[in-house]
Amino acid sequence: MQCVASLLDVRLPQPVLVPIRTKKRYFIPPAVNVKQKTQSEQEDKARAAGVVVRQQYIERAINIACTAGIFDPYVPPEGDARLSTLSREGLKQRTEQLRQSAASQLAFRKIKDHDTEFSTKGFPTVAQQIFIDAHAALTQFDKEKLHSLVTERCYPEMVRGNRYKTLRWRFVESLEPPRVVHARCPDMVSKGNLYGQVTVRMHSRQTLAVYDRFGRLMLGDEDEPRDVLEYIVLERHLVNPYGRWRLHGKIVPAWAPPKDPIVKTLMIPGPKLKPEEDFADLNYQVPKPKAVQWSK
Amino acid sequence: MAASVVTWAGLTAIGRVCGHIRSRVLGCSSTLSQVSCLHTSTELNSKHWERKNLIVYPPQQKDEPRRSAEIYHCRRQIKYSKDKMWYLAKLIRGMTIDQALTQLEFNDKKGATIIKEVLLEAQDMAVRNHNVEYKSNLYIAESFSAKGKYLKRIRYHGRGMFGIMDKVHCHYFVRLIEGVPPKVEQKTGFDQAKEYVEQLRNRTIIHSL
Repeated sequence: MQCVASLLDVRLPQPVLVPIRTKKRYFIPPAVNVKQKTQSEQEDKARAAGVVVRQQYIERAINIACTAGIFDPYVPPEGDARLSTLSREGLKQRTEQLRQSAASQLAFRKIKDHDTEFSTKGFPTVAQQIFIDAHAALTQFDKEKLHSLVTERCYPEMVRGNRYKTLRWRFVESLEPPRVVHARCPDMVSKGNLYGQVTVRMHSRQTLAVYDRFGRLMLGDEDEPRDVLEYIVLERHLVNPYGRWRLHGKIVPAWAPPKDPIVKTLMIPGPKLKPEEDFADLNYQVPKPKAVQWSK
Repeated sequence: MAASVVTWAGLTAIGRVCGHIRSRVLGCSSTLSQVSCLHTSTELNSKHWERKNLIVYPPQQKDEPRRSAEIYHCRRQIKYSKDKMWYLAKLIRGMTIDQALTQLEFNDKKGATIIKEVLLEAQDMAVRNHNVEYKSNLYIAESFSAKGKYLKRIRYHGRGMFGIMDKVHCHYFVRLIEGVPPKVEQKTGFDQAKEYVEQLRNRTIIHSL
C-alpha cells in the first residue's frame, strides 16, 4: 500500500493531534494520580534509590535470671498432714525423709558454699515471709515489688487473668512451723551456672476471696479461714551475687483434696449427638481428671 | 499498721499514674449516666468505647443488690452507610440477645451479618472474660451507629464535570447488660388521649374573678 502511495506521490493524511479542551480541575484527590506499586516493584525502587534496610534480627530473649521449671520435684508422701507430728509414726517418717534424701544434702552443701547466710533452721521463716509479702503485693498489684519477690517463671502464673479482678487474701496464722523438705541445684546452659531450688512445706490458715470486674464474689469467702498445706519452691541464682531467694512455684500433690467449685455454673462440652440420639439415653459420664502431681 | 497503709496507697497511686489502664470507678457514676439529665451523645461516647470494658468496680458488700455485668463492644470502619446501619441498630434496641440474633439472621441487609458477628463476639467475650454466667441472660441496652472516616474518590459527570464521591464507613457500638430486659410500657392512643384531656382539665385560670 505504502509503496504504491509513494509511486503515485500522494500524501496520505497524517494523524493530527487535537488538544482536549476541558475545564480546569481544582480538586483532584491524591489517590487518583498514584500508580499502584507491587511489593517487589517498591523494593526494586528503594534499592535503586540507595535506601538500605537494616538486617532484621528475629530474636527471642531468654531469661537467665530464673529456670523454666522445677527440676526433680519433691513428691510429698501421702497422709502428710493426716498423721499428727506428735505421734511416733509421724516423727519417724519425717526424720527418715530428711536423712534419706542424699541429693538434698548435697544440694544444701552446694548452696551453703555460695550463700553464706543460708541455714536449714532459719530459712523456712524467711521463706514464709517472702510468701506472705508476695501474696500481699499480688492483692495490691504492686508490679515492682512482686517482681522482686517472685521469679519470672512464677509471675505470669500468679498474675494471669487477675488484672481486672479484685483479690482479697489474708494470712491468718501458721499452724505448724514451716520446714525445708527438699533441695536441688540444677545448672542451666553452661556447667557452672548454678541455681538453687528449695522446697518448703507450710501448713497455715488463710482466707481468700476473688471478686470479678463488677465486685461480685467469684470464689472463696473473706471471713472463712481455711487450713492450707502447701509445698512452695523458692529459687535463687547462686552464682549471681545480687541474686535473691524468690518464690518459684508451688507443688500440688496427687492426693490433694479437690478445690471448691466457683460460684457460677459452667458448660462442659459434651459428646456430639446424631439427630436421632437423645442425651439422657447416652448415660454420659463426665470425665474426671487424673490425680497427678503437678507444679504450679 | 497505719504507716504501712499510707505507703501502700502512695505506691499504688504512683503505679497507676505510670500507665495502668485500670481505673477504680465507684458505682455512683454508672447510676448517674442512667439518669437522663446528662447529655450523652454518640460523639462523646464513641471515642472511648473500648476503654469502658476496663473499669473495675470495688467489691460489693453482702447486703448490696448484685451489680449486673455490662459488656461494651464495637466494630470500627465497617464498609456500610451509617444511616442504613441505624435502622438495624434501632431494630435490636431493647431485645434479648437471642431474639436479636434471630432477627438479624433473617434480615436481608448487608449490615445484618456484620452486627450479628459483633453480637456473637460480644457474647463470647462476656462469658469468657467478664464472668457472665448464662450467655442467653444478656440484653441489648444500647446500640447505635456512628460515622467513620470516609475515603474520597472522583465521580465523573458529563461535560467534564465531576463530583467528590464519599466511600462511606461507619462504626457500630453495642452495650450488653446481664439480666432480663426492662419492660417498656406501650402507651396506647387511648391513654395518650386520656392524659391530654387530664392536662386540659388541670389548667387553672389566673387573675380571674
